[in-house]
Amino acid sequence: MAVEQEITCIVCPIGCKILVRATENQFELLDGNKCKKGIEYARNEALDPRRMLTSSILVKNGEWPLVSVRSSKPVPKPKILAVLKEIKKAEVNAPIKSGQLIIKNVADTKIDIVATKSIKK
Amino acid sequence: MINLYADVAVIGAGPAGLAAAISAHENGAKNVIVLDRNSWLGGILPQCIHDGFGVEETGTSMTGPEYAEMYINAAKKQGITFMNETMVLQFDKNRKIIAINKKGLHEIKAKSIVLAMGCREKTRWNIMIPGDRPSGIYTAGVAQAFINLYNIMVGKKVIILGSGDVGLIMARRLKFEGAKVLGVVEILPYASGLPRNVVQCLDDYGTPLYLNHTITYIQGRERLESVTIAQVDEKMNVIPGTEREIECDTLLLSLGLIPENELSRNVGIEIDDVTGGPIIDQYFETSLPGVFACGNCLQVYDTVDVLAMDAKKAGKYAVKNSIKQNKDINVKAGKGIRYVIPQKISEPGKIRFTSRVEKPCESPILRLVSGDKEILKKKLRWANPANMVEFDAVISAETIKSDTALEVLLDGC
Amino acid sequence: MKNFHVAIIGGGVIGSAIAWELSKYKLDVVVFEKGSDVASGTSKANSGVVHSGINSAPASLKARFCVAGNKMLQPLSNQLGFPLEWVGKYVVAKNEEEVKELEQLKTVGENNQVPNLKIKDGKDIKEPNVSCYKALWVPTAGIMLPYKFTIALAENAAENNVNFLIETEVKDLKKVDNHFLIKTNKGECQSQILVNSAGLNCRNIVSMLEEPDFRLYPCRGEYLVLDKNYSNLINSMIYPVPPKELGVLGVHITPTIEGNILLGPSAEFIDDHEDKRTTKEMMQTLFNEAKEIIPRLPEKAVISAYSGIRCKLASPDEGGWADYRIEESRQTAGLINLLGIESPGLTAAPAIAKEVSKMISKSIKLNPKTNFKTRKTMNKRFSQMNPKEQSDLIKKDERWGRIVCRCEHVAEAEVIEALSNPIGAQTLSAVKYRCRAGMGRCQGGFCTQHTVRIMEEQFNIDVNKIKLKSSNSKLFSGRTREIKND
Repeated sequence: MAVEQEITCIVCPIGCKILVRATENQFELLDGNKCKKGIEYARNEALDPRRMLTSSILVKNGEWPLVSVRSSKPVPKPKILAVLKEIKKAEVNAPIKSGQLIIKNVADTKIDIVATKSIKK
Repeated sequence: MINLYADVAVIGAGPAGLAAAISAHENGAKNVIVLDRNSWLGGILPQCIHDGFGVEETGTSMTGPEYAEMYINAAKKQGITFMNETMVLQFDKNRKIIAINKKGLHEIKAKSIVLAMGCREKTRWNIMIPGDRPSGIYTAGVAQAFINLYNIMVGKKVIILGSGDVGLIMARRLKFEGAKVLGVVEILPYASGLPRNVVQCLDDYGTPLYLNHTITYIQGRERLESVTIAQVDEKMNVIPGTEREIECDTLLLSLGLIPENELSRNVGIEIDDVTGGPIIDQYFETSLPGVFACGNCLQVYDTVDVLAMDAKKAGKYAVKNSIKQNKDINVKAGKGIRYVIPQKISEPGKIRFTSRVEKPCESPILRLVSGDKEILKKKLRWANPANMVEFDAVISAETIKSDTALEVLLDGC
Repeated sequence: MKNFHVAIIGGGVIGSAIAWELSKYKLDVVVFEKGSDVASGTSKANSGVVHSGINSAPASLKARFCVAGNKMLQPLSNQLGFPLEWVGKYVVAKNEEEVKELEQLKTVGENNQVPNLKIKDGKDIKEPNVSCYKALWVPTAGIMLPYKFTIALAENAAENNVNFLIETEVKDLKKVDNHFLIKTNKGECQSQILVNSAGLNCRNIVSMLEEPDFRLYPCRGEYLVLDKNYSNLINSMIYPVPPKELGVLGVHITPTIEGNILLGPSAEFIDDHEDKRTTKEMMQTLFNEAKEIIPRLPEKAVISAYSGIRCKLASPDEGGWADYRIEESRQTAGLINLLGIESPGLTAAPAIAKEVSKMISKSIKLNPKTNFKTRKTMNKRFSQMNPKEQSDLIKKDERWGRIVCRCEHVAEAEVIEALSNPIGAQTLSAVKYRCRAGMGRCQGGFCTQHTVRIMEEQFNIDVNKIKLKSSNSKLFSGRTREIKND
């Protein structure tokens, strides 16, 4: 069943409101974009919206109580809640190196959660 | 008193200070000292755990801490000296810095100084919001530090005043951490942050954005209990009868940033009232010879990439220490322009200008003129006060000798 | 049950001054304060002005105690270490009509023995930013920080064994034989003498024992605080002659000890004596009237705003002026009431305290202590010391070298000292009023995280219990990530 939605393009600060119609795997641009980049963005956003996730994980025995983390790749929107839930439960021991893998294949997404900060003991 | 010497002393180890220090070193300064008041290096970056940093510079979207670490590691590799947990108390016209830390008082004699103190946040009283004075009111940056660095949650039911990027980022952060974000209130008819942040921080989570609204009252004798929001007209006056009370326990203020220039003011450096930062020439040199300014203490930047690029120039020029041959000419903000940097040109050459317009405008024409001579004409697709405008122009020796002020103006608005 | 000689209800400047006076004698004294620190009410929310006595009707208690208190303040400042400056006051007149008021004030002042009053020509006043026709120069008017004064009195009293019970509210009072039974939210005790210095709550206290023969008319005054960058606008206090036009406040401009400028106060009679709101109307009026004197004043010059409530005994219809009532209740022996202590209450406090002490001496013999501990505080803040003094302190304790408040250059050691006060007050405000961290232009933007860190690390205060100013003004709501204890 095709759904019409308005997508705010984020490629540049103008933020065109692009009207699209999409089903699970079909995409139709209706109106609103001022450039080509917007079409690509709107397609991805309509068919497979993903987000880079950043959050924090509890640190044990570190100079700071939290380590900032990121998803190694953008996470599909429907999975965001499950990923955040797992991040909230996790704990990691210091020392931590930026880039270090903390959660592998978080919430079964095949995406990892890595540290973005180095933390000493 | 502990006596130190520096070729270049950089005040602030945030993104601007780090970039300037590395650049100074790369351009020949052997002894570079960077002073910072925090126990960590990187300034505001370690608490900005979201991504979006360094896209232009590196091609990848880094988080604040990652971007900071990249610069800190590079700086340490170059043998740059860092003094953290160190507060600069003052410096004098001869570039003698008095700084204090746990080891004691330090007197640092510097050949040149780069100011990179960053900025502070506007507070409730800067806009005089009436009502009670409860706990639960935070500027967005302070809330961010508590949540991300100190593992402390500031509240459960949050209203955010101001739709700049910091406010939007915090709307998402609080949502992620289980708080109820009841809305973002914005006095303008449009969000002042990037559309990307409106989408990814508000729309994604169904958080309402109240445009053309402001907060007219704060209620709560001890802890915040509610705020009253009301609609405003085009002149930003409250429309009577539109007041609505929203129950909440936390108010985050994202009202804007004020460049931190107390050190600059104390030593008599000329400050531009509009930018809030020192008046500089194209070499980022302030009115005090040998003292250069960059980063958010010079002007509030939109992205760290542009900020870093300018900071690197400031660091370079701090080493070269330009000898001004000619008298400066002024650069003025004309019709439709809020401010232009640099405010002075001391030598001919290609100059990168940064500027902001007064109000949103589609297809304006930016012009740079010297008297009735047009030096540059540039068509912009759109312009908005929240997005810094950058442009290059070649200023000739004749223009400088003519002793006429340059003016930047906007047509077609 | 604990038995006291004197129980003081209310730890404002009056209660603290009385406590201090009594702490010189061998007495068991307790102070009940329902707030989380001394000076929680009107005592901290005023102009900090030391009045000369020109504003008080001759032969009134206000005049008597103001003039007497004024003379006591410098020696007290020397002894207790709170800052005090005799900046003087100009009451300015725009025209010949207003000069008549100046002459009236001068006469009242002279009747009250106020020395050296002089009416000067506008061109002779040493205020480059103020233009006026003529002005009354009042050299014996000064400024202080009212919270520092109250804290100094209270802390020295506590050091001399006065019990300060904060967050302790008196709920019920009974007179039994010749003592009082006092019920608070934290327990019960007894006392021979009861001093009612409860400020705006003074009527509630009286009504626990008898039918009050007075009414209170709370009158709110709002203030704006200006950035220190504007401190060179004025040298002395600038007060206009009270204006006759409606809606015009006649803004007072008062410098502060630390270099800020106060605009205000307004005067608005209100119903709820706890309604300390600041209003859009008053803040705008204060700002606009200040702009008439300082045309280029930007909005961001305002760094803070607050309001204080005057405890008036007379209604606006009665002209809003009534004298102090400092008396033993005729109905309830042993109850000493201090009612209607509004301006010049701060100035009058030490003299009032001596008077109350005299009243108490009629019932209880006052034996002076031989081991009275004088206050060992430094008069200077760290930022005011010279480099040698600073270096020496850092050598003794490196925490003097860690600056945690950028705007006011407050050292970590000063915050620790503030939190170690003998009253036991450990709120963010308690820190602010003692060492100034949080009073600068960034209003805690940098220092709040440090004060919280110090509270957690050095004083083991639970993050969930950290308060801004009163028992329910919690700052936080738990942790981002709960720390599970294994």
